[in-house]
Amino acid sequence: MRESSKMLLHYVTGLGIVIVGGVHLFTVFLTGPYLQNLAFIGGAYSVIAIYKNVIFAVTLELLLVLVDYHALNGIRVILIEFHQGKTWERGVSWILTITGLLLLIYGTRTILIANAIVI
Amino acid sequence: MTEPLTSELRKAITGWFIPHRYNIERWAYALQRITGIGVTAYFLAHIAETGNVVGGLSVWNTPSVGFARDIWTATFQFLENPLFDMGLVVIGFMLAYHTINGIRLTLTEFGLLQGKPSRPDFPYEPKSFTKSQRAIFWFSILFATATAIYAMTVFFGV
Repeated sequence: MRESSKMLLHYVTGLGIVIVGGVHLFTVFLTGPYLQNLAFIGGAYSVIAIYKNVIFAVTLELLLVLVDYHALNGIRVILIEFHQGKTWERGVSWILTITGLLLLIYGTRTILIANAIVI
Repeated sequence: MTEPLTSELRKAITGWFIPHRYNIERWAYALQRITGIGVTAYFLAHIAETGNVVGGLSVWNTPSVGFARDIWTATFQFLENPLFDMGLVVIGFMLAYHTINGIRLTLTEFGLLQGKPSRPDFPYEPKSFTKSQRAIFWFSILFATATAIYAMTVFFGV
């Protein structure tokens, strides 16, 4: 992927996070007492209720994908600004890609299993 | 180019934290980087933390609701202390700043708010950092402060 495409995707994911992250923060902080929303069960916006709701689960997955790309590409930009060179840039990209994939797998796993829990 | 990697990295990192003779645009840049790293660190921790909703890394089948509830409640009780809450207040500040300043950067990336090119004159104020951009920068600081105060009322009930 060209550098300009990576950066375009960085801005696009950034704007996406503003919207999807906004929904995420809204459900945690603005729909009722924070402690009630972070309780495992009870209430429409409790932890398990969010994961069990397909629309919110998809929102979380989308947020995971967007933040995963945006955060790791941000780190990549910082690291290749520090130092340039083929080996360095390739190494940075590989390590961050693998890190990103692992995070994506673990986060998706959480969402899928939590969605399948029988209340 | 031929400098060794470690000294290059040291110079690059310390450069952010020695804001000697920084202009405001350079401050905005340094803050965007630092807050980005901070929020990324939170993101990593948050993925690990929310993994406990289903019982953590050792659980690979669908747990019973009671089991998942107990693991999550224990995790939440461990995380609910003033130290982590203070951390969340800082993360709130960082996230809010990064969001608003990021919107400014996105606008400038696509050619908006740039102003006209002009001759650099003493005292070499950054001409690219137009009034509207300055306004957004200060708004981001204000918004971040407001977010931190809001976070304090949520976590500490001040």
